[in-house]
Amino acid sequence: MSSKRHSILPPVSSSGPKPPVHFSSSITIADSAILTGTHPIAIHGESVVHPRAKLDSLAGRITVGRRCVVHERSTLGAVFGASGRITEAAVTLGDYVTVEVGAAIEAGETVVGEGTVVGVGARVGAGAVVGKYCTLTPHSEIAAGEVIPDFTVVYSNGMRRPDKRGVAELRNKGMARQIDVLRRMIPSNPTKFA
Amino acid sequence: MSSRRPPRGEYIETDTGNKVARKATLVGTQNIMLGGKTVIQPEVMIRGDLVRTIQASSQSGATPNSTAVAIGRYCFLSRGCCLRPPGRLYKGAFTYMPLRMGDHVFVGPASVVQAASIGSHVHIGAKVAIGEFAIIKDYVRILDGTVVPPNTVIPSFSIVAGQPARLIGEVPEGGHEAFELRDLYKTVGNNPQPAPS
Amino acid sequence: MAALTPYTYIQCPCSDLSTLGRTSDPKSPRADEADDDDDDRTFDPRAPRSNYSLYPLEYLLYCEDCHQIRCPRCVSDEIVTYYCPNCLFEVPSSNLKSEGNRCTRSCFQCPICIGPLAVTSVETKPDPSLLAAPDNTAAPHSGPYALTCSYCSWTSTEAGIKFDKPNGIHAQLAKLRNGGLTRLTAKERKERRKDPSHRFAPAAERDHERSALDDKLNLETQFANLKSFYQSQLADPNASDSGLAALSDLGFSSPTSLSRIMSIYTGGSLHDKKAKLRVGAMREALDTDEGLQLADLDESAAIAQLQCEGYDGTASTSQLSDQPPNLGEAHLHGRGRFISDLRPIPYLLRTKRSKRCPVCRHIISKPEAKVQTTRFRIRLVAGSYIPSMAIRPLSLSGGSSGTSASGSAGIPGALLDPLRPAHYLLTFTNPIFESIKVTLGAPAKTPGRFASKVTVLCPEFDIDANTDVWDEALKDPGGGGGGGGELRDRERERERERRRRKGEEGRNMSSNNNQLEVGKIWERGRNWVSIVVEVVPASLRLDHGAGEQPLREDDDVLEIPMFVRIEWEAEAGGDEVGAVIGRDREARERRELAYWCVLGLGRIRV
Repeated sequence: MSSKRHSILPPVSSSGPKPPVHFSSSITIADSAILTGTHPIAIHGESVVHPRAKLDSLAGRITVGRRCVVHERSTLGAVFGASGRITEAAVTLGDYVTVEVGAAIEAGETVVGEGTVVGVGARVGAGAVVGKYCTLTPHSEIAAGEVIPDFTVVYSNGMRRPDKRGVAELRNKGMARQIDVLRRMIPSNPTKFA
Repeated sequence: MSSRRPPRGEYIETDTGNKVARKATLVGTQNIMLGGKTVIQPEVMIRGDLVRTIQASSQSGATPNSTAVAIGRYCFLSRGCCLRPPGRLYKGAFTYMPLRMGDHVFVGPASVVQAASIGSHVHIGAKVAIGEFAIIKDYVRILDGTVVPPNTVIPSFSIVAGQPARLIGEVPEGGHEAFELRDLYKTVGNNPQPAPS
Repeated sequence: MAALTPYTYIQCPCSDLSTLGRTSDPKSPRADEADDDDDDRTFDPRAPRSNYSLYPLEYLLYCEDCHQIRCPRCVSDEIVTYYCPNCLFEVPSSNLKSEGNRCTRSCFQCPICIGPLAVTSVETKPDPSLLAAPDNTAAPHSGPYALTCSYCSWTSTEAGIKFDKPNGIHAQLAKLRNGGLTRLTAKERKERRKDPSHRFAPAAERDHERSALDDKLNLETQFANLKSFYQSQLADPNASDSGLAALSDLGFSSPTSLSRIMSIYTGGSLHDKKAKLRVGAMREALDTDEGLQLADLDESAAIAQLQCEGYDGTASTSQLSDQPPNLGEAHLHGRGRFISDLRPIPYLLRTKRSKRCPVCRHIISKPEAKVQTTRFRIRLVAGSYIPSMAIRPLSLSGGSSGTSASGSAGIPGALLDPLRPAHYLLTFTNPIFESIKVTLGAPAKTPGRFASKVTVLCPEFDIDANTDVWDEALKDPGGGGGGGGELRDRERERERERRRRKGEEGRNMSSNNNQLEVGKIWERGRNWVSIVVEVVPASLRLDHGAGEQPLREDDDVLEIPMFVRIEWEAEAGGDEVGAVIGRDREARERRELAYWCVLGLGRIRV
């Protein structure tokens, strides 16, 4: 690959209004993250937002907890299906949440509990309440309004089982270390969105 | 087909024969190695910035041999797919390991690949999620919608599908030629040749 | 109604006798009478048996000595290598007999979701080295280890199993029962039995017996005890006699014991009759030491657990059937009921197989023995010997085929309209280095419930040899150089002229006239020819009232059986080394190969 260009990043289509943001000072947000919408977007703690992640607050406010990692191509506040206009359509992520590549969390009072891992391509429907330290394996779907208890693993076409590993503490420690490394790797540019 | 003048080449063609779309997102290209004659379609994302940080070296910046993603010849990355190096906690620190791909690898649209190594002549379907540190050997066909859990090993000549990935068949001896991507390479680009019937 | 991409399946001649449209005919038919004109012998792709003989071209192999195609059903397999699909280590076949056909090196599958299990250490204190993979030996804390599934997060601690070392899990697992209790290996059991301090006197008091009974719920121990008891029973009454004491050691099927048993019957003296009587006087087991186990009909513990865990706590039948046999846990013949009874599953070994022709016993496919290489030493696939067929819908109204969708079947996968003619382009590609003559035969009406009309516009044609691309490029005007190029140039032009004059090509390239002419091919290339097939799909309307059955699944698929005969010239006497020079070099043998194939075109609109 030619070393002339450092990255090939096609311009991000900045369609949509620029939302009011409320960032904590220690977050890492990549330059090419996409933040659109009208409602406020709040990102706390030492969270990391990878390039090309999309936070869409058109329908409602978005709150991201402390030490979260939002991977690329994921969407917070997406609207899928003909759900119509929802006025109070907030998306809330707890602390230590990981949203993997391509996951989509629909707007509509959706709550993702602390320490949960939303796998690659997973979809969380509007109004769903996902408990703490859950694991949603890749491509799993949570229907709108569903309540997932704490410590559940959603796998294989909608199967559920309780997670008895007791790794909550370890996961958090792992996340902290991951964030340390990511902070150095991803050039952060919070002022672009302020 | 549009009757207007053709748009400014959709693909950038390098001298080694790689065809990279202008709308593809390649982050950290100095850590991405393309083998040659590889096609990267629009909306593909390759994270070359997630590179292994060797703690022994005191200087930062591009050290030699810091490859994040290495791709072989005649690979085809379809629209919307994502290649990311896998990362884990190693000796107390979180590091990313390189993602190595062989030749003639077809990655289907909207797939996410976080494997540690992929062999040659592999066909990955659409919307596949390959977990971290998976090892896929040669001549493997992964059908659409498969989820390959982390740390899985898929031996050669397998056909896998399902969530989690299960072996559902074996590639027959006569099926080896179907994995070749030379013809597919010719159909893409600024001057596409018609597909052979 | 799923859309159907066109497919071609070839029938292997190994099933010739059973699928020629005949019902179970006890008389054996003449073997090679596959007459394509005779309707009675038309191959019926809808016959129930034909499903098992149809294969796509990739699955077929070819035997060079018999000059016949072979399918996966008729070839005989031989195993070249056994290897574990997870660690990719080769297992020598001697290990297979002793340790079974599963991996013995720490490769396990999750019993819930059959994902891969990884060794992790179970720590109460948080420790960053927890998420290290098993090959990371630098883990400072060596607490107890457990197996964890990377997909569904099952851990072996849910079954109560923990390990002391991260390596050699298989051996450690063999010693553990669920719940952390230890399990006895065969050796330990033998030693225990021999140890006199463990033996209880047969006429013990009730309390003693009960406690002994309670403690031996283990299926394996019970089996071992019973087996040794019965062996001793057989040996005991005859201990005074000469040969039969050896029975208990060797078992019953060894030749020496068989001969000794026979000697009882052929003896004939009083001494032997007594021996025979004594064999009949066997008793049953009386206590757990001898293998008796009273059935424990009290299932209240299981019921309590069921009420506590609910339906989700029970294991499904597929999960239970994946478990390796004879674990000796519950008294249900080794099978548990609950998820907490499931143990990690060692991986089943996979094989690399070599295939042999059933008739001449030559090897037609042989992979390399090394697991890492994907090469083959011998690989005779049918794709290198018989022409491959590709089907594409052809739309004739305006423009070249395939681009405009105005025809009824212009889009591949679209539904066919009944009673409207549709055209398909069938392309034959010749893989061998000789030119071949292809003859096709298709019945005028497809067999089955709804007969569609089929017309193959050009049933006989030649395909050129699969010469090198470089030869072709040299012949091309303007490519290659020199006088030689020019000469060939003119030759090629002459060839084309000749063909055009013969009127062979139904599609005139220059005028771009898309007319279909019977008896002419559509297009020709270096080593391929495409012809047109016209079909008029049948109407799927049912006349209700005449007792007709409703449409069954796949009744609407339009499938054409077609008989293909290929003739080509090859060098004669290819098998002999050092053939006689002169006349034999010139002699060319005409070879032919014929088979039935099925073209699946698409679904008919209901």
